[in-house]
Amino acid sequence: MASTATTKRVNLYEWFKTITFYEILVGMKATLSHLLHYRPVTLQYPHEKRTLPDNYRGMLALLRYDDGTEKCVGCDLCEAACPSRVIRVVSAEVPGEPTKRYSKEYYMDMTRCLFCGMCVDACPVDALGMTREFEWAVYDKRQLHLNKQQLLAIGDRSFPVREKRLELQHPNVAFFNVAFKHVPPKPD
Amino acid sequence: MTEFGLRLAISLTQIAAVMGVVVVTVLILTLAERKVLGWMQDRMGPMEVGPYGILQPFADAIKLFFKEDIIPAGANKFLFTVAPILCLIPAFIGFAVIPWGPNQTFEVDGITVRPFVISDINIGILYILAFASLGAYGIILGGWASNSKYSLLGGLRSAAQIISYELNVGLSIVGVLILAGSLSLVKITEAQTGGFWNWYLFALPAPQIFAFVVYVISSVAETNRVPFDLPEAESELVAGFFTEYSGLRFAFFFLAEYANMVLVSCVAAALFLGGWNAPYPGTIMALIGLPSVAWVENTMWFAVKTYSFLFLFFWLRATLPRLRYDQLMRFGWKVMLPIALGNIVVTSLAVFFYQQMK
Repeated sequence: MASTATTKRVNLYEWFKTITFYEILVGMKATLSHLLHYRPVTLQYPHEKRTLPDNYRGMLALLRYDDGTEKCVGCDLCEAACPSRVIRVVSAEVPGEPTKRYSKEYYMDMTRCLFCGMCVDACPVDALGMTREFEWAVYDKRQLHLNKQQLLAIGDRSFPVREKRLELQHPNVAFFNVAFKHVPPKPD
Repeated sequence: MTEFGLRLAISLTQIAAVMGVVVVTVLILTLAERKVLGWMQDRMGPMEVGPYGILQPFADAIKLFFKEDIIPAGANKFLFTVAPILCLIPAFIGFAVIPWGPNQTFEVDGITVRPFVISDINIGILYILAFASLGAYGIILGGWASNSKYSLLGGLRSAAQIISYELNVGLSIVGVLILAGSLSLVKITEAQTGGFWNWYLFALPAPQIFAFVVYVISSVAETNRVPFDLPEAESELVAGFFTEYSGLRFAFFFLAEYANMVLVSCVAAALFLGGWNAPYPGTIMALIGLPSVAWVENTMWFAVKTYSFLFLFFWLRATLPRLRYDQLMRFGWKVMLPIALGNIVVTSLAVFFYQQMK
């Protein structure tokens, strides 16, 4: 008997809540409080930009050594590593130096790139880098098919401090200079 | 100048003024809605055009004027062209009987001019309801003529919804009409003079609170606004009945929707919230010895009431999700309709016994 009375009271309470639009009023109070305590989370993008994280993966670029020579040795590993077949490398011998190779042509179809950074990881000579550029909206998507000169230009403007060409490296040897980073530097 | 010419000139001036006010209000509303919605959702709303985006309505208007006007293949060209106009005219024509300010008159060359109402016809509210229903034709025909399934579904939904909720709007108003004993909006507003306790929302012998709630909900549904925006449900029907419309024709539908909102708010202010009457007896202007400019205060009160009602539209839109279709129909027919009918019975009984007691 008592239980039915409680349920009846609860039902009356629920019914009262329904006819006074209680839930809707609670929601409207929430929206109004947001209106009164107006703290927008919007970032006015072209005028103010967020700070990018240090490991931001932006536009890809080809890098050079400090003497202006290209790092790329035309090994095709980036092409192999790329999951969406962005990269195409045409490798060739350096003329007059039969032991040394370079990328004669280097193409990137940035319309397909998903910025995973696997090409950068795969590169044995650190010839690829990811810049912090991301404003690459274009009117014609053919402008996103980049060739070697364009990629080098991106690298030039994004990485003004170039890596030093190692002295150990004989000019005729494609020296893989990445794998030694964990080795402590030679004392002078 | 002949008398007819003078009358025509006066009427046209009034119509131009009212149209101007309504169009300016719509311009303000398009910005205000986006701003208020943004603020309620912790966004900013339009910020780019002009300082704080206040020129956004003009940018929108220019864009809509110069957009390509597309008539889809297989559409009925005549109805497709006529539908936006059919939607727009009833939305604007209702403003003819709305009293914006006190019922004053002045004489020009022996002709009595009422500056704050274009024409005080004795069936004012009936006229508004009739034309509001005609607006549904534009929506349905636009939906059918577009030769698109989304448009057609939106139009059909709109037809069912407007039939269901137009009824509730009409019935919720009946209580006020019983109390006022008139269908003329000027007379109804005049009967509410002297303090907010005389407004029909609170007035004895029968406060129309339930009727007001029914009216608010039904008018939101009638103007196809969130949470009753099933005819143009974005997530279901792309844009509903105006999916295929672009450019100026779309602007007409847009204008009609906002003009309908303004009209519904004006009617709510005039019927339930005392129209141009201040919430205190008389006016401050008359009290400080300037009765000739009391109309400014009265008009301001009307604007305040209308705009707060319009703010309620935005507030609801920011808060509530869309109803399901069966919920909409059940709510309209099984909840709103009995409340409205019960309100009529209670109001008529109360008025009857009140008069008996006198």
